[in-house]
Amino acid sequence: MKILVINAGSSSLKYQVYDMSSETALASGRVERIGMDSSILVHEPHHTDETSEVSEILDHTTAIRKVLDKLTDAEVGVVKSIDEIEAVGHRVVHGGETFKGSVLVTSEVKAEIRRLFDLAPLHNPACMMGIKAAESNMPNVPQVCVFDTAFHQSMPARSYMYAIPQVLYKKHKIRRYGFHGTSHDYVSKQAAAVVNRPLEDLKIITCHIGNGGSLTAVQGGKSVDTTMGMTPLEGLMMGTRSGDLDPAIVPYTMSKEDLTVNEVNSMLNKHSGLQAISGTSSDMREIEEGMQNGEPNATLAFEMYEYRIRKYIGAYAAAMDGADVIVFTAGVGENSATVRQRVCEKLTFLGVEIDQELNKIRSKEPRYISTPNSKIAVLVIPTNEELMIARDTYRLANNAK
Amino acid sequence: MFFKKIGVIGGGTMGQGIAEMLAVKGLDVLLVEQTPEKLDHAYSMIELSLDKQLEKWAITQAEKKLILSRIDKVTHLAELSSCDMVIETISEDLDAKKAVFAELDRVCPSNIILASNTSTLSLTELASTTKYPGRVIGMHFIYPVSKIDLVEIIRGLKTSEETFSETKRFVEEVVQKKGVMVYESPGFVTTRLICVLINEALHVLQEGVATPEDVDNAMKIGYNFQYGPLEMADHFGLDSVLAAMEGMFREFGDIKYRPSVLLKKMVRANQLGVKTGAGFFKYDKDGDRL
Repeated sequence: MKILVINAGSSSLKYQVYDMSSETALASGRVERIGMDSSILVHEPHHTDETSEVSEILDHTTAIRKVLDKLTDAEVGVVKSIDEIEAVGHRVVHGGETFKGSVLVTSEVKAEIRRLFDLAPLHNPACMMGIKAAESNMPNVPQVCVFDTAFHQSMPARSYMYAIPQVLYKKHKIRRYGFHGTSHDYVSKQAAAVVNRPLEDLKIITCHIGNGGSLTAVQGGKSVDTTMGMTPLEGLMMGTRSGDLDPAIVPYTMSKEDLTVNEVNSMLNKHSGLQAISGTSSDMREIEEGMQNGEPNATLAFEMYEYRIRKYIGAYAAAMDGADVIVFTAGVGENSATVRQRVCEKLTFLGVEIDQELNKIRSKEPRYISTPNSKIAVLVIPTNEELMIARDTYRLANNAK
Repeated sequence: MFFKKIGVIGGGTMGQGIAEMLAVKGLDVLLVEQTPEKLDHAYSMIELSLDKQLEKWAITQAEKKLILSRIDKVTHLAELSSCDMVIETISEDLDAKKAVFAELDRVCPSNIILASNTSTLSLTELASTTKYPGRVIGMHFIYPVSKIDLVEIIRGLKTSEETFSETKRFVEEVVQKKGVMVYESPGFVTTRLICVLINEALHVLQEGVATPEDVDNAMKIGYNFQYGPLEMADHFGLDSVLAAMEGMFREFGDIKYRPSVLLKKMVRANQLGVKTGAGFFKYDKDGDRL
């Protein structure tokens, strides 16, 4: 069975095609600048060179039609006819409390995703456009939604409730949801395979550190706590997001600087984090470079970033009364040996011992970076959210048959 | 109708605000002024406004570049033929506006909506110069356009049902503001109510009841106005307030619309508010209050 995985943004769309008989990706690609007259489609088939094309793509429906054209193209295509694609999987950011796992798309599911627009005003409408566009191009193909929040629905109330009047939870569903769930789920399962122990017996701390970042405490394969909250702003310091801060700072800044709600939101989401402290970049590679050159602001940015990760690892070890595995994944987690080294070298109280040489290896494979003596196994596992979406889509589409 | 490219005629305060707001919402804008100098000035004011937002963390440097890249400068109405909608926002001069609509009617395909940002004039009269009056409608934005989420949608006598429903969709779905529907009447709702308030504030001032600061504070703090009536008048331009009052006085003939003598005096002295640097208060060249 071949499956198309779609990750739709408001003006972009990423896709991947999987052959589920071998779980291999046949092609991937992206459409950027949807809605403009010079949209770009980059198609990367795995059997030949990538191609790109600039044309007018005014909406998601046209974008998907162009993608399907590429997939069935004689030279760069990977299927003979669209009929070979038997299911489509969509990444949806917010599933609220309704979706505790992936689901087949029905009109009720769509109505519920629409009801959740309030909780994810930037992301869910874009996901919805992706679903509608796929439906109109492939009307008889089953569609599946995989939610970023679903994995964290197993959290107990003591983790997901905020200590504010309960009426706010009842009326507006204000609580911790957590994000990157598909990634935390995937790498924790992989980690169990790498250490060769049953997932049910393991206490794993997964560190998904990319441009946005979150840590999750995974006990027995279930998320029991995670750093992101009602929105992806809480928790770690990120590229341009502040992460945790005293909530009283928000009204205080608004009154002192005469800011509107939109301005303060944008300040915390787009003008904070590494960008704000370094004053130069939101990219960890450039922060590390600045630190090596003795740049004081880059050094401070790095130290704050690393410290916050380490603090949460300690917190989650306490939350689970111990930890067996720490996993690093996503852009920074997979590629920055310096961040991993600095986080781990002060976790000796937990018995963590890093092998400096193993840590320096660059590879796309899951691997150990701790010594055999380390009380906690420290792993680097490249994340693969698309494969996870393809697997769920495959399972649900098969059940439906 | 798929709204993608919008023409904005007039690069004054409102034209700048409307062009900027449309570009922020992701639409392409053709901004029209009579001369390249006026165009450059309008464009630099939009840039300044974006810089102020950047300072307040409302947008990023990349977003600023993207927004500006969506605004194209043109000096001829003929270039608006490719637009999906045109919004006219030149000064409130009936004859000048009529000339613009007559020209637009010739240039733009007959299904394209022609909207006027007039705050007082008759849409029916503006439409009278066109062959297709059904597509003429009023779309009255409120200063500052980027912050005030309200648009008065004004139906002239001949405005078609389709023009109205498409305009309402444009306002509520494309630019995401609240649209209130009003039938043609001098000053509509917003201008009629606010100009009478401003005029009354001038009477209060003239009678020596309170200082300008105290008049404004009374309404700002007392009734949660973003600006007091006098500062608001400075932003509108005292000449515009006078023109609106005179228009309503003429149309309704009711004494409550008679412009205050102080207002006339200040306009004669060319103390028009923000744009001349002085009105009831003083302003720097960026329009910030001193």
